[in-house]
Amino acid sequence: MGPSLQLERCATGIEGLDNILGGGIPRGNMVLVAGSVGTGKTTLSLEFLVRGAERGERSLFISVTEASAKLIQNLSTFEFFRTELVDQGSLVFVDLPVIYERLGLSNEELNPEEIGILIRTIRDLVRTLGVRRLVLDSLTSVCYRIHKDEQIRDFMLRLGEELKEAGCTSLLVSEIGPNPGRYSLHGVEEAIVDGVVLLWNARRMGDILRVVQVVKMRGAAHSRAQYVMELTPIGILMAPHLKGGREGGA
Amino acid sequence: MPPVDIGDRLRSLPGGSAVALKLDPREYADHYFAVLNATLRDVGSETNAHTVYVAVTSPAAFVWTLAQALDVPRERISFVDAISHIMMNYSNPLENATYVDSPRALEEIMLRVEFLLRKFPHPRSIVVIDSVNSLAIHNPPELLSEFFHILLNNLKSRSVLTLVLETSDEEQSGVEQMLNLVVDETIDVARAGR
Repeated sequence: MGPSLQLERCATGIEGLDNILGGGIPRGNMVLVAGSVGTGKTTLSLEFLVRGAERGERSLFISVTEASAKLIQNLSTFEFFRTELVDQGSLVFVDLPVIYERLGLSNEELNPEEIGILIRTIRDLVRTLGVRRLVLDSLTSVCYRIHKDEQIRDFMLRLGEELKEAGCTSLLVSEIGPNPGRYSLHGVEEAIVDGVVLLWNARRMGDILRVVQVVKMRGAAHSRAQYVMELTPIGILMAPHLKGGREGGA
Repeated sequence: MPPVDIGDRLRSLPGGSAVALKLDPREYADHYFAVLNATLRDVGSETNAHTVYVAVTSPAAFVWTLAQALDVPRERISFVDAISHIMMNYSNPLENATYVDSPRALEEIMLRVEFLLRKFPHPRSIVVIDSVNSLAIHNPPELLSEFFHILLNNLKSRSVLTLVLETSDEEQSGVEQMLNLVVDETIDVARAGR
């Protein structure tokens, strides 16, 4: 068998995750980060951006639900975060509600034309700023305003194409219930994306452990094992989820 | 043959060794203090090592009091405390300790050890796990075996000296058998000179 084509990797900078992925996310991939409340989705996404900005890759956080100022304040708990990254424009925060307002997208349900405007706006931001890493937190909140499955599919396909063309690796945060049986609100999203990183709270005799599993990652031979994740001031650390001889973890 | 000093035994070990320190329950206090003395004061001071102490038997605050009596400076020891929360004894957390909810959260214990080793990088590090018996009270044997296998291999690859405290009498228990499979050697404190 000949040597396989090795895609360029976007190292997340989260050592455990990069080990799971065999070096990082293939450059330009659009990845769903799915999990219920308190599983570390936003923290993981923020570290991905901060580590990228540190490496000279301009990083963009598009926030739908939480104000940027509060997110930046939360970043100060990371010992490796420097406010200069924000001041110098290496790490950019944008509040999507502000964009909605400026674009006049005030309807509760976005129509196809408005969805197109939203995609072009994100594309222009990425191209103008030269963004190499993007986080949308959350995709679920955006999809609340896109009611038809086929429109969600179209939105994601077009967004994915634009980001891939720009060489921009993206994480789309998906909020799901604790036992959803799928990775997104509509179940459409996971079929479109290149990767799915699933986060959940596992219980062991009443104690809660944050668990992460890479379910899918196109272009990367990756581990599908479960890992426990710890959010520390020096960044996210991961260790194997102990099974103790039991299926699905003890 | 004259007994060998615990400190001498530990000093003679190659980097990355994993050692079980066997304490006799009938002389627990004496043995425990001898182990702390050899580990924290003798070996720790001489090599200027940083010690990460995983407290499962007694809260970190108690061990820290003993360490202070041995003149161990704060910057040379940090704790992973996995017992204070379940003992409802968390009102005055130590500055040099990180607290895990319960001794059942074994992966979190691993990750907090990792965190402290990264936070205090040092050419010579020691990890003390106190104790395998306390962990065995809260965890099934299969889980505990998996925990020790992963943790000790990880620490070995980073040349960290790991000491696992074990309280055991003459008869070999299941815990002791498990530990024998993962450590490089066992030091019987009752037979060692102090």
